[in-house]
Amino acid sequence: MSCPQTRGAPAGLTRAVLPVYLLTAAGAALWLAAIFLAPWLAGRSSGRAAAFVYAVFSPVCHQIPERCFQFHGHPLAVCGRCLGIYAGFAAGLVLYPLVRGFSTIKPPSARLFLLLTLPMALDAGAGILGLWASPIGVRFATGVVWGTTLPFFFLTGVADFLTARRKRLEARALEKRRGKSIE
Amino acid sequence: MSQQKPEYLVPALIGGAVAGVLTGIPFVNCLCCLWVVGGAALAANLLAKNTAGPLTSGDGAIVGALAGIVAAVVDALVDIPFRAVNLGIARRVLDRMSGVVEDWPSGLESWLEGSPAGAPVSMFLFGLFIGAAIYAVFGVLGGIIGVSLFGRKIVPAVPPAAPPPPPSGPGDAA
Repeated sequence: MSCPQTRGAPAGLTRAVLPVYLLTAAGAALWLAAIFLAPWLAGRSSGRAAAFVYAVFSPVCHQIPERCFQFHGHPLAVCGRCLGIYAGFAAGLVLYPLVRGFSTIKPPSARLFLLLTLPMALDAGAGILGLWASPIGVRFATGVVWGTTLPFFFLTGVADFLTARRKRLEARALEKRRGKSIE
Repeated sequence: MSQQKPEYLVPALIGGAVAGVLTGIPFVNCLCCLWVVGGAALAANLLAKNTAGPLTSGDGAIVGALAGIVAAVVDALVDIPFRAVNLGIARRVLDRMSGVVEDWPSGLESWLEGSPAGAPVSMFLFGLFIGAAIYAVFGVLGGIIGVSLFGRKIVPAVPPAAPPPPPSGPGDAA
């Protein structure tokens, strides 16, 4: 059985995880808001502003209109599957304090991740092979299921990186102080 | 026992190049951001194979972020020759559907009117910067997932040295 990847006392971990959590939650809220901002701006005839927001999301989504939900009569900035992933990410962030708390950093098990990836993988694979064309609701739902696991990886990795970096800096500072005291 | 420091660059270049090419090629690029996550996971897998010691989620985050940036650059370059093809595919799909769908979502015409020649250099660089930032975040995610799937090794315990053979008896002296 693998051990949790903890790098210090609980207080040290909370100091690393909580700010990452809060920043990630703020970023996710902004990201989701921007997805709805684009069609809202288009509905208010702010064409240039809407085009800019749509362009921000163009690297990460095909934005084919018939695969996007509508808001104020215009397509959202991302397709139904992408919206599901981001909505699932937000839902995962809400669950994170309840499931994991802030005193440990531990990614989900690989089996659970693969299990929750399966619906989206099957749906996307069947679509690519031309076996079926899933409705937008199915794309959204499979995206939500997969997206819910993602914060548990993201927060773990970023907090682990920051904790390790802080310990390296503290160790270097300690070495410098020891070097000076010897001199 | 000193731990070998992971070498992030080569796995990031390979994983990022794969993700960037797949994100830019028509038909294949329908999975968009998922290719970046997959490419970063590939980078984490390569990092795990090239590193003797165990990897942490932080290592995955670093190699994934680098792979995401590489993917953005490669995607921007691959998209240049394929831009007209991508827009043409979209037009043909929608032309076929026009007999079935009466009211198209608004904004569709302007989306289809994207110039096949591409944007000015300044817009290209701005788009590249935005894409690199976004892809780096997706890459962090993919790298962490990759380390979780492929890179969590347990360093095997060194077995105790075998005891020396007993000294030979007096009968062996002749």
